[in-house]
Amino acid sequence: MNALAVQGLTKDYPHFRLDNISFAVAEGHIAGLIGGNGAGKSTLLKGIVNQIDAEGEITVFGKNFRSDEARLKQKIGFAGGGFRFYPLKRLSAVRKAYAAFYQDWDDRKYRTWLVRFGLDEHKKVRELSDGMRVKFSLALALSHGAKLLLLDEPTSGLDPLSREELCETLLSLARKENVTILFSTHIATDLVRTADEVLLLSHGNLLENCPLSELLSRWKTVRFADVATAAAANAVGLKPGKNGLEGLLPQKAPLPAGAVSRDASLDEILIHLEQAQKEDGNICPRL
Amino acid sequence: MSALIKKELRLCIHPTVFLFFSFSALVFVPNYPYEVIFFFSALSAYFCCISARENGDLAFTGALPVKKTHIPLARILVTVGMQCIMLALTGILGAVKSAALPAEQQINQAGLSANLALVGNGAATLGAFNLVFFPLFYRSPERIGVPFLLAAAVQFLLVGAFLLLRWSVPLFSETLNGGNADHTAAKAAAMFTGIAVYAAATSLSCFFSMRNFKRVDL
Repeated sequence: MNALAVQGLTKDYPHFRLDNISFAVAEGHIAGLIGGNGAGKSTLLKGIVNQIDAEGEITVFGKNFRSDEARLKQKIGFAGGGFRFYPLKRLSAVRKAYAAFYQDWDDRKYRTWLVRFGLDEHKKVRELSDGMRVKFSLALALSHGAKLLLLDEPTSGLDPLSREELCETLLSLARKENVTILFSTHIATDLVRTADEVLLLSHGNLLENCPLSELLSRWKTVRFADVATAAAANAVGLKPGKNGLEGLLPQKAPLPAGAVSRDASLDEILIHLEQAQKEDGNICPRL
Repeated sequence: MSALIKKELRLCIHPTVFLFFSFSALVFVPNYPYEVIFFFSALSAYFCCISARENGDLAFTGALPVKKTHIPLARILVTVGMQCIMLALTGILGAVKSAALPAEQQINQAGLSANLALVGNGAATLGAFNLVFFPLFYRSPERIGVPFLLAAAVQFLLVGAFLLLRWSVPLFSETLNGGNADHTAAKAAAMFTGIAVYAAATSLSCFFSMRNFKRVDL
């Protein structure tokens, strides 16, 4: 069963369009949403939880989200980046207000997260660093028995140890508690570390939606001696590199003479596919 | 809805709300346009909305398990609570003044006396404020100043109209004026009429605010 299904999600802004996005995330899976700044990751997540007035159909655990929003949100943990609300309030005041909304709020679990993240509830929100704000946001989202977590850049601003800890936590939640997770990031290593599926978003368009292993095995990065060779080989997203021209080729494509190849990283796939789209003129923002 | 209202009280309410309650004691000031007292109640609603905006409250609340349309409803209900306290305090202190001071000191040279009819007038002005302010605010919650200026202008126009009636229409200058002891039934009727106007205007305000907020991007 799909925990989340998005069908035709579209949002028009004067200078940006989130264009007809459709995908699904199976229960217990982790899907990573990756894309550059301004790709539409946050807009997509906000569109899912009805924070923006977008077109399209959202289904959560088989039920229409728009018609049963309040009840279905009980099962959703949403953390939109670092906690940037109520800077003058103490964490305890925010927690009291927040917990009252959730039937399955687990105070013991919340305390565990506070200790694990090193958060002091007596502090005011403004006294937290950016990283600690992300952790507070996560502590709230993880403490009400959510079965679907939507996390907007949860690892940004965290130190490497905290990032690793968070990745372990996400894996544990998915594997042991069957929690479904959709998180956005621009840090490819976090996505490779945790995600089962990858959604590659660029300028409001979904370029890829497939298992991570499939995406990584589909491409190789190739360094070409010159433009003519690259063009003859139909290289995708050709860009000048340190030692020549680099682009993507399908794994099974023959290697031209003089070219050197290696397995493509997620970052390279993102960069070259975006470059290819730009050259085709398909993903320019609609002005 | 109760969790939303608790959240409003815990995180959004501005401290001046409690300060402004004390302004109901202005009914003891002689020769003062007492309808102006209710402007402070409108001002406290404005401060609460500013405070909520600066705290990113709408984005926070939008992620909670609530219907999006319930967010403005909760804010308006809390405001209604504050306004009702202000109306009740003004009515009670007006009654105390009526009972404690001699009849000649009940006469207000600036406007209507502090009596039950004043509560009705105040309720009508607050209803007008709610009807203009909240639907405009929830159409574009980042912009609070213009909705407040327009709503306050409407409220003061109504206050001006009541002052004019006090000096030009016998119903207001004689029957509805003075302490509660005289023409009590007429003053009570004026109060209930004002409260009915308030209830109708605020209900419409809720309807339009919820409809407008549905289309807002958080």
